[in-house]
Amino acid sequence: MTFGPKELQADVQQKNMCIGCGACVSICPYFKTYKGKTAAMFQCSRESGRCYAYCPKTGVNLDRISEKLYNKKYSSDALGNLKAIYTSEKSDKASKGNFQNGGTVSALMEFALKNKTIDSAILTKRNGAVSIPEIVTDHEKVHAYASSKYGLSPVVSKFNEGAESGYKKIGVVGTPCSIIAMANIRSNPTDIPDFVDKSGIVIGLFCTWALDTSKFEDALKDKIDLTLLQKVDIPPPPADVMTFTTSHNEITLPLSEMRKGIPLGCTYCHDMTGEFADISVGALELKGEKNKNIIIVRTERGEQLVNDAVKSGYIKTAPLPAEALSGLSTASMNKKKRAFTRLVDEKMINNLTERPMIVVDDQSLKNIMNEKGGM
Amino acid sequence: MSILDYKDGSVNLLMGNEAIARGAVEAGVRVAAGYPGTPSSEIIENLAAVAGKAGLYVEWSVNEKVSLEVAAAGSFAGLRSMCVMKQNGVNVASDFLLHLGLSGTRAGMVLVPCDDPGAISSVNEGESRHFARLLELPLIEPGNFQEAIDMIKWAFELSEKIRNVVVVRSVTRLSHASGNVKVGTLPKNNDTPVFKYDGNLLDALNGPVITAPVPFKHRQQQEKLKAVAEIFETSEFNTYTGPENPELLIITSSACSLYSLEAVNVLELDKRVGVLKLGTTYPLPEKLVKKHVASAKKILFVEEVQPFLEDLTKIAAAAWEDVGVKKYHGKYDASIPTVNELNPDIVIAALTKILGIDYRPVPEDYEKKGTILSFTGAPNREVTFCPGCPHRASFWSIHNVLTLQGKGGFVCGDIGCYTIGILGAGFNTLKTTHSMGSGLGIASGFGKLRGLGMKQDAVAVCGDSTFFHSIIPALVNAVHVKSDMMLIVFDNKGTAMTGFQPHPGTETDAMGAKVNALNIESICRAIGADVHVSDPFDITGTQDKLFDLIENGKGPRVLIMQQSCALSPEKKGKNKYVMNVDESLCRGENCGCDRFCTKIFRCPGLVWNRDKSVSMIDSVICTGCGVCKNICPAGAIKSEEVKAC
Repeated sequence: MTFGPKELQADVQQKNMCIGCGACVSICPYFKTYKGKTAAMFQCSRESGRCYAYCPKTGVNLDRISEKLYNKKYSSDALGNLKAIYTSEKSDKASKGNFQNGGTVSALMEFALKNKTIDSAILTKRNGAVSIPEIVTDHEKVHAYASSKYGLSPVVSKFNEGAESGYKKIGVVGTPCSIIAMANIRSNPTDIPDFVDKSGIVIGLFCTWALDTSKFEDALKDKIDLTLLQKVDIPPPPADVMTFTTSHNEITLPLSEMRKGIPLGCTYCHDMTGEFADISVGALELKGEKNKNIIIVRTERGEQLVNDAVKSGYIKTAPLPAEALSGLSTASMNKKKRAFTRLVDEKMINNLTERPMIVVDDQSLKNIMNEKGGM
Repeated sequence: MSILDYKDGSVNLLMGNEAIARGAVEAGVRVAAGYPGTPSSEIIENLAAVAGKAGLYVEWSVNEKVSLEVAAAGSFAGLRSMCVMKQNGVNVASDFLLHLGLSGTRAGMVLVPCDDPGAISSVNEGESRHFARLLELPLIEPGNFQEAIDMIKWAFELSEKIRNVVVVRSVTRLSHASGNVKVGTLPKNNDTPVFKYDGNLLDALNGPVITAPVPFKHRQQQEKLKAVAEIFETSEFNTYTGPENPELLIITSSACSLYSLEAVNVLELDKRVGVLKLGTTYPLPEKLVKKHVASAKKILFVEEVQPFLEDLTKIAAAAWEDVGVKKYHGKYDASIPTVNELNPDIVIAALTKILGIDYRPVPEDYEKKGTILSFTGAPNREVTFCPGCPHRASFWSIHNVLTLQGKGGFVCGDIGCYTIGILGAGFNTLKTTHSMGSGLGIASGFGKLRGLGMKQDAVAVCGDSTFFHSIIPALVNAVHVKSDMMLIVFDNKGTAMTGFQPHPGTETDAMGAKVNALNIESICRAIGADVHVSDPFDITGTQDKLFDLIENGKGPRVLIMQQSCALSPEKKGKNKYVMNVDESLCRGENCGCDRFCTKIFRCPGLVWNRDKSVSMIDSVICTGCGVCKNICPAGAIKSEEVKAC
């Protein structure tokens, strides 16, 4: 059964499930993105379309995309399909930047562009509270896109635009929702006859939630000069705050207040670590450790890039301490359990509804919902 | 051929509005003013065309109220004058009209409102007849083309008899249809205008022209009206057609008298039904009406929209103890609808029902088939903007910006071609439409609701002529109260919808003379708004400005979108680009486009090629504005600049 723009609007936009990844944007003139929000400009009369098929909030068949990407069914493990997991940080050859943690992602993209693993990279820059994805082709400019934005970024719209305009090996950096959309696109759900996967490397960023752009803006516009915003961070517990650093000052707001700006769609998300990426990267949260990342290598091409980047002196890796691994696994599994439980409760998964948000093997679903967390 | 060129006494095919204009010249009118509005505009246009030759002053005024004041000055100075407007213009002019009726006039002064029952070219079904009653002024209504010329002439005489304004009401079907008219002679008239004011306060011809003392003047006005009623009793413009004692008497006026006569004729009821056509409708010639009512058993009032003759007659009939009991049909028993214009079929339906006649013009199954086919068989011809219309480009940008911003922003509009921004042609962007200039007044109000928690952005749109007509006070208000909203002026360089009449922003007047062109931008700036200008054909630049102004602007903002109307004389035959569609790039029906340009953008210059399943340009009607090039997602629409020869 295929669906189109009408169902997309009914299931996603009208139910406030849209997380603004931009998967439906730049493939047609009907959907556009602005300041983190996707808008249906006009009513399209097609009965089926890529817009519905690419959306990470409609009919995502986890087993199907796993088969396409990893040649196996969806892994119900806490961290998904993986080949290796390390701590990592940028190394000497990589440019300096305003990194969130270890600078691993910037270093990898800089290296990938330089050694031509990719011909372009979709990276997100900040303009106040607004996250703006751009197509970057110059490796020397990569570092300028460093640091977490927290506002929804329509990364996939830029991938679509890049693919349309002729790039063939596009590097994509995005939060798990964008990575699921990328997996949808790469699995050719609409059976385009001469389909070519235009992604060169896909890097997923660990994510628990992001912020709706206008709510982000509203929460801060009277408190700081948003045009000078340089860094947004959530210090490890028990701080329970979010910090916003500008070139002039830093302010701290209670996490509970900022959480009000979480889009509804985020609360149905099961994926914390970007399970359908080639490589996933996040912060290493470990006492005494600062400015380091956790890196999960998931695919062969991911493995190749990481190994080459290490060899070429762009990143360095080290074994991940067991404590950090268990912490990450617990957090990730909890997100899965929360999301799948909610999806089951609200009859939004598998055959509980005509148009489910997620489709997954019943056994995997049971495994996750009964799991207590951990690897 | 101008209205002066008809030979004295010759019979000519004239449009109703031409007949009215010719009648005015024959009556020796020297001053004529109005504001453009369908179906009235041709009257002033015809007079303006002969102004120099006939020694007239003709003006398109800034609005109807001012036009009535300009015309009144002519009368006060001893020259016959006329004022012309469409039905809702009377509402605008009514404040001055109330006072003018009280002060009285000097040389003959005639007000010609052209009503539009059915709102064929209007956004309302307003009626000027009721103003005559409300403001206590004589009202006459031509029922055919000859009467249009003859009654205008008579109206001037009547006005001078009572020294007050006479209202001559036309309707679309009279103003815009044509018929045979025998013209009269043209006068020689070169009186020098002088305004006399030295006489006594109560001296109507030599004193100051004022409304005080009000009870005295008001009584005087009412006495004049009584005198008019007496004159009306014997007017040749009230005619009766039918048997001496008809079974049913139709009382009607204006174009409805023609529908009535046709209905009687179709039903062959000339021996049973009589038609009393009133040319003088207010005040009602009661004795005449009573005589005819007394002769029939049943009375049917055939008039458009609200009951007027019916009410006047019934009120009068309350005192007619000697006419016996009559059965009245009309608006109150739903024999005649109270909305929309009438036609012979509606009158036929009323007559057959009242008289119990079985009449079927076509067999039942044929009628049924016709109804079905008219719904299913006829192609859908939607109301749309012309090819190359700047309004389509403007609404495209406004719609896209407001939709992308996703904050429920909306547009308040008014009367103009851009009113169809409500429909698909304007991407359903307009959300309110009322009288001229009201979009801004409403937006000014919405803008202040921010203080009460409203989050949506309010945008008003108006045309350039409307800007002068009635936007300025609303802008003053918005600036004064610091309303948080935005005005967009669609400046297409003329009163485009009604036929490019000049307005205060144009450099020539109605008669072709050089006048001062007022600058909208400077006016807005002087009022104190934050003013910006853009070309709506520059889609990207316009949208950038809109994003910035709506999102970052505070208080009253004005964006003037400047681009001449696609039909403007300056653009005729001067296409900027030759457009074509690269068929290899057009995505047509495939996913990703869904015939975006022909289904959504819908400029009539873009058509769908069924055979090839691609879009193409209709080069006959394309005006080469180049806008569609910007909307094609595949870049398939190409433009080639036309080189100047």
